[in-house]
Amino acid sequence: MLRYFLLSRAIRMLAVFFIIIILNFILPRAMPGNPASILANEYNLPPETVKILVSLWKLDRPLHEQFVAYIESLFTGQWGYSYKYYPRTVYELVMERLPWTLLLQGVTSITVPAFGMLMGILAGWRRGTKYDVAVTISAIIVYAIPYYWLALMFQYVFGYQLRIFPIAHALTPGASYSNFLEYVADVLWHLTLPVLVVTLTAYASYTLVTRNSMVDILEEDFMFVARAKGLPERTLMKHALRNALLPPLTMLAIRLGHIVGGAVITETVFSYPGVGYLIYESIMFKDYPVLNAAFFMLSITVIVANFAADLLYAVVDPRIRYVRRG
Amino acid sequence: MVSILRDLRYILIENRMGLIGFAIIMFFTLIAIFADIIAPYNPYELVGPPYTPPNERFILGTNDIGQDIFSEFIYGSRISLYVGFTAPILSSIIGTILGIIAGYLGGYIDELVVGAVDVMLALPSLPLIIILAAYLGPSLNNIILVLAIFGWPGFARMVRSQVLSLRERAYVEAARATGAGSFRIMFRHILPHVVPLVIANIVLSATSAILTEAGLSFLGLGDPIAKSWGQILRRAQVGHALHQGLWLWVFTPGLAIALLGTGFTLLGVAIEEKVNPRLKHSRR
Repeated sequence: MLRYFLLSRAIRMLAVFFIIIILNFILPRAMPGNPASILANEYNLPPETVKILVSLWKLDRPLHEQFVAYIESLFTGQWGYSYKYYPRTVYELVMERLPWTLLLQGVTSITVPAFGMLMGILAGWRRGTKYDVAVTISAIIVYAIPYYWLALMFQYVFGYQLRIFPIAHALTPGASYSNFLEYVADVLWHLTLPVLVVTLTAYASYTLVTRNSMVDILEEDFMFVARAKGLPERTLMKHALRNALLPPLTMLAIRLGHIVGGAVITETVFSYPGVGYLIYESIMFKDYPVLNAAFFMLSITVIVANFAADLLYAVVDPRIRYVRRG
Repeated sequence: MVSILRDLRYILIENRMGLIGFAIIMFFTLIAIFADIIAPYNPYELVGPPYTPPNERFILGTNDIGQDIFSEFIYGSRISLYVGFTAPILSSIIGTILGIIAGYLGGYIDELVVGAVDVMLALPSLPLIIILAAYLGPSLNNIILVLAIFGWPGFARMVRSQVLSLRERAYVEAARATGAGSFRIMFRHILPHVVPLVIANIVLSATSAILTEAGLSFLGLGDPIAKSWGQILRRAQVGHALHQGLWLWVFTPGLAIALLGTGFTLLGVAIEEKVNPRLKHSRR
């Protein structure tokens, strides 16, 4: 059964992968102009250079040859030149921005689930109480709050009015650091508002899922028996948690897949120099090579993370394997 | 008929969450309907000097080109409600039809639909929506289209699993015995039984449709002609409203998005509690 499960998931993963590769090939070719002519217009390149670029990118070849070349270039990191930052390559730009995104997303991937699950566990454990109602209602409200809006309001209060936190960038522009500690302090200082805002708005879905899963488990027969046996609260809690935390942990695994491209809006609103902000810049400038590369990269991570989440689930919860989805 | 009225009574009157949600949605619906009367100015007209702080003439001030922000805000409710209703309804129509066909007919049609749903649900939706919106170009209907493309699989999966159990019921068998065709059974006999759950999910997914439209508009991928709340936030951001202390310009549209979204979620949860038998027992 496990083998069947893995096989069907692997096939699905390949299908998704294939669709993304095709989309990535078609979308830029459906746009008016080609990369070479757009660069030529933008930067007044001489015709000889354009000719070289056209033959280098095989834009004069038939589509199927272009497709083969495109597949090759995808996996070798030759993603072409950025229109906006020409003559810098897309690969360079993405690699330069990636660490900032990993930092911001890494921190929030801990704070968001931790806070959300804690609230959900407590609400589910005390289901039906005023505390449960308060947590659930506030999570429903928070779920509807656009986080860029909260970000703007926090920027207004903490940045413009109180002046205690910077409202943009990952480092103080033009700052020089006498030692490493000062550098770290500056990084953390700039990280505070983005992390705070993301945590305060993204925790809600974890809370709701954890709470409902907790309530479901507490209704199960085995919990009833455990309680009837007179087990102490601590032990009961442990039994419940083991089962109730599966859904939120799967959510976390899926979230990890969105790390690379993830926070387009967060990074944009804080001008945080990560991949998300790069995607925003590419949209504004119609920098399609960057857009394509970013899309490809983040699709791959999302697919792999989804697959990992499925595996994790199948291993941790044996019931899954025997039930065909439906 | 009586049972529908009883359900409605529960959802809208006895369940406080449903009542509050419904009231919020009605409030914004009235604003949208009577926008022409409520708004003091034409939101597209340049009626004052740019960047006017709030005063008696302009309750929320004017924007970077001198349009009245309060009027923009009033008309913005139309866009959010329009997207909030049309996108989920479009998704639900596609998803319900495919879900019923897949669940009832089974076989390779079922495999095909389930495969497509699995693939769609595994795609990274938000970045893909952003990128598709960038390629398709800024228009409200393109946004709704993109939202529907990513919205239908959820509906299809839910409807299919319902149909799997419905098709084994005695009344369906009786219909089949009297010679009713597959088409008639699917859309006359099974469809009415999945509609309540579909409605609950339409209302629930309105929230994310509204949030996504606002987010896309905020990023500059929205329809520049349609005055939406996300669009107002974008103008405020690009025009450095906060830098000049014009915080009401940012505060009001964002609060409205959050309020309307909360309204839809509250009403959706109330409906779901009533129509989803699984949830009835798990709440105390």
